[in-house]
Amino acid sequence: MANMIRKANAFEIFNHWVLAISCFILALTGYAFLFHLEQMNAIFGSFAQMKVVHNYAGIAFAGSLAITIFFYLPESLHITGDDFKWLAMAGGYLSKHPHTPPMGKLNTGQKLFYILLLIFGIAISVSGFVIWLMPGVKKYILLSHLAHNIAFDFIVIAVPAHMYLATLANPGTLRIMLSGTVPVEWARKRHEKWVREMGY
Amino acid sequence: MARKALLISPELCIGCRGCQTACKGWNQLPAEKTKNTGSSENPPDLTPIVYNKIRYVEVPSEKDPVRWLFVSQRCMHCDDAGCMKICPAPGALYKTKEGAVAYNKEKCIGCKLCVAGCPFNVPRYDAKDKISKCNLCEDRITAGLEPACAKTCPTGAIKYGERDSLLGGAKKAGFAKVYGDTDLGGLGSIYAFKDSPKLYGMEEKPQIPESIVFWHKVLKPLAYWGVGGAVAASLIHYVVIGPHKDDEEVKKDG
Amino acid sequence: MTNHWVDVKNADVILVMGANPAENHPISMKWIMRAREKGAKLIVVDPRFTRTATRADIYAPLRSGTDIAFLGGMIKYILDNNLYFKEYVAHYTNASFLVNPDFKGPGELNGLFSGYDEKTRKYDKKTWSIQMDEKGLPKKDPALKDPNCVFQLLKKHYSRYTLDKVSSITGTPKEKLVEVYKTYASTGKPNRVGTELYAMGWTQHTVGTQNIRTMAIIQLLLGNIGMAGGGVNAMRGESNVQGSTDYGLLFHILPGYLPVPSASVADLKTYIEKFTPKTKDPKSVNWWGNRGKYITSYLKAIYGNHATKENGFAYEYLPKLDEGMNASWLSLFDQMYKGKFEGFFAWGQNPACSGSNAGKVRKAMANVKWMVNVNLFDNETASFWKGPGINPKEIQTEVFMLPCASSVEKEGSISNSSRLAQWRYKAIGPVGQSKTDSDIMNELYFRVKKLYQKQGGKFPEPILKLTWNYGDKDASGKVKEVDTHKVAKEINGYYLEELVDKKATPPKVLGKKGGLCTNFVTLQADGTTSCGNWLYSGSYTMKDDKVVNMMARRGKKDIGGLGMYPEWAWCWPLNRRIIYNRASVDLDGKPWDPKRAVIKWNPNKLDPKTKKTAPGWDGDVPDGPAPPYSNEKAGKYPFIMRADGMGALFGPGLADGPFPEHYEALECPLQANLLSKQRINPAIKLFFDQKGGLKEDVFLSCDMRFPYVATTYRVSEHWQTGVLTRHLPWQAELQPQQFVEMSEELAKEKAIRNGDKVTVKSARGEVWAIAMVTNRFKPFKIANSTVHQVGLPYHFGWQFPEDGSGGDSANLLTPTIGDANTMIPETKAFMVNVEKA
Repeated sequence: MANMIRKANAFEIFNHWVLAISCFILALTGYAFLFHLEQMNAIFGSFAQMKVVHNYAGIAFAGSLAITIFFYLPESLHITGDDFKWLAMAGGYLSKHPHTPPMGKLNTGQKLFYILLLIFGIAISVSGFVIWLMPGVKKYILLSHLAHNIAFDFIVIAVPAHMYLATLANPGTLRIMLSGTVPVEWARKRHEKWVREMGY
Repeated sequence: MARKALLISPELCIGCRGCQTACKGWNQLPAEKTKNTGSSENPPDLTPIVYNKIRYVEVPSEKDPVRWLFVSQRCMHCDDAGCMKICPAPGALYKTKEGAVAYNKEKCIGCKLCVAGCPFNVPRYDAKDKISKCNLCEDRITAGLEPACAKTCPTGAIKYGERDSLLGGAKKAGFAKVYGDTDLGGLGSIYAFKDSPKLYGMEEKPQIPESIVFWHKVLKPLAYWGVGGAVAASLIHYVVIGPHKDDEEVKKDG
Repeated sequence: MTNHWVDVKNADVILVMGANPAENHPISMKWIMRAREKGAKLIVVDPRFTRTATRADIYAPLRSGTDIAFLGGMIKYILDNNLYFKEYVAHYTNASFLVNPDFKGPGELNGLFSGYDEKTRKYDKKTWSIQMDEKGLPKKDPALKDPNCVFQLLKKHYSRYTLDKVSSITGTPKEKLVEVYKTYASTGKPNRVGTELYAMGWTQHTVGTQNIRTMAIIQLLLGNIGMAGGGVNAMRGESNVQGSTDYGLLFHILPGYLPVPSASVADLKTYIEKFTPKTKDPKSVNWWGNRGKYITSYLKAIYGNHATKENGFAYEYLPKLDEGMNASWLSLFDQMYKGKFEGFFAWGQNPACSGSNAGKVRKAMANVKWMVNVNLFDNETASFWKGPGINPKEIQTEVFMLPCASSVEKEGSISNSSRLAQWRYKAIGPVGQSKTDSDIMNELYFRVKKLYQKQGGKFPEPILKLTWNYGDKDASGKVKEVDTHKVAKEINGYYLEELVDKKATPPKVLGKKGGLCTNFVTLQADGTTSCGNWLYSGSYTMKDDKVVNMMARRGKKDIGGLGMYPEWAWCWPLNRRIIYNRASVDLDGKPWDPKRAVIKWNPNKLDPKTKKTAPGWDGDVPDGPAPPYSNEKAGKYPFIMRADGMGALFGPGLADGPFPEHYEALECPLQANLLSKQRINPAIKLFFDQKGGLKEDVFLSCDMRFPYVATTYRVSEHWQTGVLTRHLPWQAELQPQQFVEMSEELAKEKAIRNGDKVTVKSARGEVWAIAMVTNRFKPFKIANSTVHQVGLPYHFGWQFPEDGSGGDSANLLTPTIGDANTMIPETKAFMVNVEKA
């Protein structure tokens, strides 16, 4: 049995899945609103009920987003020279045998994703609440509608990438969000600085 | 079917407001409790139970003590309707074959986005948070009748008919501005104005808010192509470059 | 109306004065706008820039109550500039008649006509007569040059109405006067026609009748009477006011404009003698010469077999007025106030709000023992005893409310301003316990009759012997329910005997016994016909042996595109759509304006039955079948209702002068009449004079405390006193509250802002109102000083809305004074003050 290192605690894992599931529901219903997907009535009964689901999923999303930000923001904003190197070689994803610079607990890509989530997650949440709670105030609604949709576009592009990178592209990553632990050696390859910090 | 429309001619209107009452009568709308605030114009604005109202506009006149204009305010039944564009609920707003922007309260989800989408500040919401506005008397026009307002108008200030012939008539009659000829794909409530629309309290060039146009033209397709693109890119990456092998390497090493 | 609603579309110039059709007769605007589409000019003359004025080509303001000055100036303009229709004036009016040389006018007598008696405030009309020749025909000067001829007297009379004078009286800028005069006078040509539309803005003045007379003179001068697109047209204030007037609503007329006799007219013979005008002119039709036939047939209709030759057709049963008695509205309530009445039926009306000087009216109602209110809703009249300022404990009046059916809950005819009787059907039955007016009347009649049968009484015959066969009867002989068709047939009249034209060879049967009369031409004075209202004879008749309700017709065929629609319903008289239509053709029967031919003499006309040539008229039903004027043997004058056959430029029939003269309103802002020393109409009955009177009847003219001219009016959103519309939330939403319109200049003077609550006060009462500060009212320049005018509607009342948010009736302000001829109250010009509340 390899040495395991804990990369995420139980609460983080729980929170991640709340975020992921709410995001999925929001995206699904969002697409239904956007493209009038009446097939969704099979799931939600009606668009009016779907709106309720969308709104309350939004609360879950915003809440777990806040927690997510709390957990990862300091690390995400901790940018070093290695991050630029990492970026310069696109995280090594364009090569079959990359040699990426040593990373902390989060690699540059993950940092980027969190920053993106920070900006567009907040934007989509706030604008969502404005649309929900200040209906009919044309000025705010127009701005919020725009913000909501811009953020939506970014999120629906970023999230599949995140999902791919966290699963197929990087086998073994998913377990962070399942058990929370990864083998030390696996981690060392990816988060060398962090592993060192942790004293391995 | 040829598109139908209302031709509203303030120069023929006598401000009797028979149309306002007829609208209430046909659509069985209750009354507002109003006050006189120094004008005969009442109720002060469109509401969920006021689909059509005559605005009384007083502007200076050279020949008379005042120029008193009466302008019907109501849904403009745009061809390119901002409300319909932004509405997230399928079937809540729809076009009748006559070209009316009608609605189904059952399908309305009460989000009020249409309020933001409308360049004319028309949609209102009832107590149950359902859209409420002029629907060109959909039940009448689909039965071959004219809307209640047009039916009751004594002077022909509100006329209902084939849009093209109404437009032609208004142009032939020499009105300075036929409002709504081409705006928003052509309005279903067209106005024959003697002067600039501004004088009658109308937007010179009504437009769907630019953000909505941008959203419709760019953001909406991007949401479609973007998610597809992200998934496709991932697949291509998986096939062409493949996943990190570290995991197996680690296992092997282990 | 001399013409009809649709006919307005045929006009070249439309003068709207004393009316506000856009607000009060909105449907008429349909035809006004049609005329305008074809290039007609709309002139609106009104103290206020009304909704009608918004559509006008020319709007001219005038101070309330100065219409005669305004129109007198127009007469002068027409005469000075030779714009009158010479042939028409010469042949169809009394312009050439020579007047009694002793006749003197206001120019010579300081505002009075000859024959005035200050004590009685009445004229002796002896000098207002026409000179007759030895044959008994009027003496004429066809050249219109004789100083005593009507034309010259007219010219002399109105020579005083100069532009300067008129402008300083009316407050209308001179250039506006000229613009209006010029435009309207352009219709003095055969191919140009002008019409006038008026309503209560003309009638509700102390000079109301003369306002209309002035216009009639103008229309005769311009040759606009009888023409399509012409006439003097009264737009009635309610949908069936025409009908109720035709049927004797007013105290002084029986159905069909037959005078109500006074006690001194002892028998039918005297009645016929007194009320049948005579002429010796063979060219005059003198239609009222038929009076005897109409009154006899009327008596036969109401008293049936009880009306016999022997008893003078039961003439004695007819109610009579005391000598000189005036039982008009103001007098009635004055008498009621003085305790002269036992009880009072307020039937379909709301005098507590509609009556001029409503404060007095409300007090008067406390002086009757009982009151019956027949109405759709409770109102300020029925609830007067709990009204503002009244202590219910002090009121002894017992009030009964009889709920009645609305117009859609019953069948019957309605006569509109076009004299058009149109049959209407019942949509739904009366709600709850309410009944139709006729059924309420029926119940009442049989109960009163029973009382008379049981108790006798002073003069039971008029009730006991009344014909009342309006439906199936129960065992006691009471009509169970009134059948409106039976009433309509009685009105049309029956042949009580076979009617045979004995002059024809062989004698021709004109009517079978028991059949419905063809029309009033066949009515008889010998008791062989019955007819409830001769004007309506022909409305429910026999055609090819079948009974036809002419009023229910809905044919859409037109004549010459003039919108006469002769097959749509039926209008009196004889379905004639434009009366005096013989004046629309020249002496040879050719239309003055062939493009607007109302009638036309057709020498080659074919009789559709015999297929033989029978010269006759084409077009509308002519004013009599006689050949044109120029036909030496049989030609007739056009104005068939007048004994002399002529349109009356000189009209000695009225109480206050043969020519209209400007007098100020009872309450006015001026010390003196700018035209003469006579400030107010000398022939009006004053309820308050130097000797005093009731404090309720007080009036204050040219008084610093009440400096502003006021007028009342209606708005399109409400109906009369609002009893029908205040209860209708949709209408209340549009016009929720009493308002007063005033100019920005006045508002500034009084520090009143738009929307402020203000108090409007007159010598008699006060109301609160919301100030509507607007440029629609402008101050007037009168006799070099500024005069402000305000206006307020009279639709509101304290009783509904229940929270009192509507306000109270503007008639609390209006005076107790009436027109010299009709006694219509002067609610359109009085004085008030306005203060911020």
